[in-house]
Amino acid sequence: MCSVPGLQADCEALLGAFQEADTVRFERFAELWRERRFHAIFYGRIRALERNKFAKKALELAQQYFLPPYAFQIRVGALYLLYGLYSTQLCQPKQKIRIALKDWPEVERFQQDLIESQHYDAAYIFRKLRVARAFHFTAMPKLLNYRTKKKIQENEFKEEFKDPSNRVNSLITNDVLEELMNIHDHYQKMKCVISADKSQPDKALSLIKDEFVVNLKDITLEHQEWQQKRMKLFLNAKEADEIPNGKEEGTSVASEGSERANALAKIKYRSYSAVVEASKSRRHRQVKLDSSDSGSDYGKSQSRSKKNSKRSQASRNRDSAKIRAGEMRTMKETVTRHVGMPVITEEDTSDEEEVPLTKRKKKR
Amino acid sequence: MSGGGGSGRVAAAADAVPDYEVAELYTRVFCVGALGRGWRQRLGPPDLSLATEAAAEAAVAAELGCAAETAAELRAVCSVDMLMPSDEEKDPEVIPDNSSLLTLRIRKKALERREETIIVDRACRQETLAYEMESHAIGKRPDNPVDLVEEGELLLTLNIFYPVIFQKHKDHKPYQTVLALGSQKLTELRDSISCVSDLQIGGEFSSQPDQAPEHISKELYKSAFFYFEGIFYNDKRYPECRDLSRTVIEWSESHDRGYGNLQSAKMEDYTFNDLSLRIGFPYLFCHQGNCEHIIIVTDIRLIHHDDCLDRNLYPLLIKKHWLCTRKCFVCKMYTARWVTNKDSLAPEDPCFFCDVCFRMLHYDAEGNKLGEFLAYPYVDPGIFN
Repeated sequence: MCSVPGLQADCEALLGAFQEADTVRFERFAELWRERRFHAIFYGRIRALERNKFAKKALELAQQYFLPPYAFQIRVGALYLLYGLYSTQLCQPKQKIRIALKDWPEVERFQQDLIESQHYDAAYIFRKLRVARAFHFTAMPKLLNYRTKKKIQENEFKEEFKDPSNRVNSLITNDVLEELMNIHDHYQKMKCVISADKSQPDKALSLIKDEFVVNLKDITLEHQEWQQKRMKLFLNAKEADEIPNGKEEGTSVASEGSERANALAKIKYRSYSAVVEASKSRRHRQVKLDSSDSGSDYGKSQSRSKKNSKRSQASRNRDSAKIRAGEMRTMKETVTRHVGMPVITEEDTSDEEEVPLTKRKKKR
Repeated sequence: MSGGGGSGRVAAAADAVPDYEVAELYTRVFCVGALGRGWRQRLGPPDLSLATEAAAEAAVAAELGCAAETAAELRAVCSVDMLMPSDEEKDPEVIPDNSSLLTLRIRKKALERREETIIVDRACRQETLAYEMESHAIGKRPDNPVDLVEEGELLLTLNIFYPVIFQKHKDHKPYQTVLALGSQKLTELRDSISCVSDLQIGGEFSSQPDQAPEHISKELYKSAFFYFEGIFYNDKRYPECRDLSRTVIEWSESHDRGYGNLQSAKMEDYTFNDLSLRIGFPYLFCHQGNCEHIIIVTDIRLIHHDDCLDRNLYPLLIKKHWLCTRKCFVCKMYTARWVTNKDSLAPEDPCFFCDVCFRMLHYDAEGNKLGEFLAYPYVDPGIFN
């Protein structure tokens, strides 16, 4: 989505440093911003058209961190980043920050949270942007123009910025556990009631493990612990990477990159091995295993060549139709004068690639 | 302007929050006017204001619920100056040498490479034109306050594709981008779409070249329709307009082809606010019987005080494709106006001429036709450049 090289890395580095600083104060953010001379991101000999485009892209990028699923701190950082980018851009008039209607309730809630938790600097900055009319209130976050497949690429943002809350936690909350416990008690009692021995359910009715709620709770806790430990490990690893290699930034970046690459490779490997090889008799039905990028390439080139040949045939048909029409016209011309349209062929330049194809066809 | 956000419409507006149907590609169907109402309900007058000056910063303390001293302090702590390093004033043209920003290092490299290879460093004509088109109306306000765009008005961005069949455009279909207001009628957009097929002149005029201009298609065939979400909006403003959509609707109904219940309506009765559509989804404008333009609404948003606020300038063209023109075969300078077939005086068939060269070559001083040829008026797709 972001076609400006380096921009995403720069924004993430700034937000990452802000996260590490473990604060939401604007003062600290401004310090980090000044350290990096982030305002200079708009510098360089850029012409007006390009400048507008760049500012638009930068704001669009920063805006995405401003919304969930990113953690509160990152969202505050993104708000500051938006404020910084908006105020220091060199466009005249300034490019605006796009907010979609569907995201607005989330933004308002965020502002409410800021005020309630007395993060006045962040609340003040949001209010300042709003008063300065820095927003475009839109239907959708981006412009949509029905680009098919070509440009659909995964948005890979930093995982660490996201809230550690996850599906397991959101599915199994305390309330749910309590509810389950109640239901289980109730169930147990019902079983006792219909059993011969009223104090204890019949063995025939023992269809479920008695301590299953407790087990579930333990498993959830364990998962939570594991996740926290992993987060910590990850952060420690990063620090360990950064501290000794203070001078060579390159290596830490590389290791981080390779870590991600490894993770990706693992995921890929898993999905590959998931495809079972078909028996010989069914080889023709074998599921194809192309790596995602080469696969799409393959499809593209094929479809293009198909289109080409179709097109050339069509143009051939069109040509012949034109010729026929031309002949008809010459026959008719003697009778009526007023009918008909001129015969116009396409310009030479545009036909160049077509020529060999049609020739090949004719030979057949 | 339709709407105004009455309380009875709250429920309707809740359904009108557009969201993706296919992620990053297009949205679900929603009513354009309801989007405007949705925003107007959620925002206050300062957000919608089109006044030149932003509202004064008062009431910070009250709004945030903090002490007055805190508010004053905030103003200092959160000022933009806090983001500017104090040491030196820099020239925005120059990239600082020691920048730690990856973006700047990449840009610097690109600029250095350009410096080595390029001879004249300036914007090319197309780029200048593109910027000029994009920005010429920005911030314009009408002389007459009556023409001022209303607050809370919607602004639609439409891409209108050319119906070109040139091979060179097979990957990138050229289009023009137009801004329209929500309260504008569809007919206003229809009248603003310039297409060569409206200027075509049908027929062969080798014996009476002066009569050609009387036969412009625009005057002869006024029918047209827009197609949005199952409804054909036909232009019926003139008595001679025909219902171009009838054939399609009848075809669809004749064998129950699974296109649902297609309907037709009058284009002049509808504004954009009345429409239901999907953003990012291809629709159709058809005129001259079969000249078909794909139309995509790429964006809808509230108008902003930095936008062009002169209602008369809408629909506003902000981008168009630069089409190559065919030049006259004789002078190689002017855009072709005539095309000939079976021309005994021309080296090619077909052969293109500008008006002057055409007449000089094919007629004598009294205007008598010389030689054998068929001549047709030619309208170049590039004449709107």
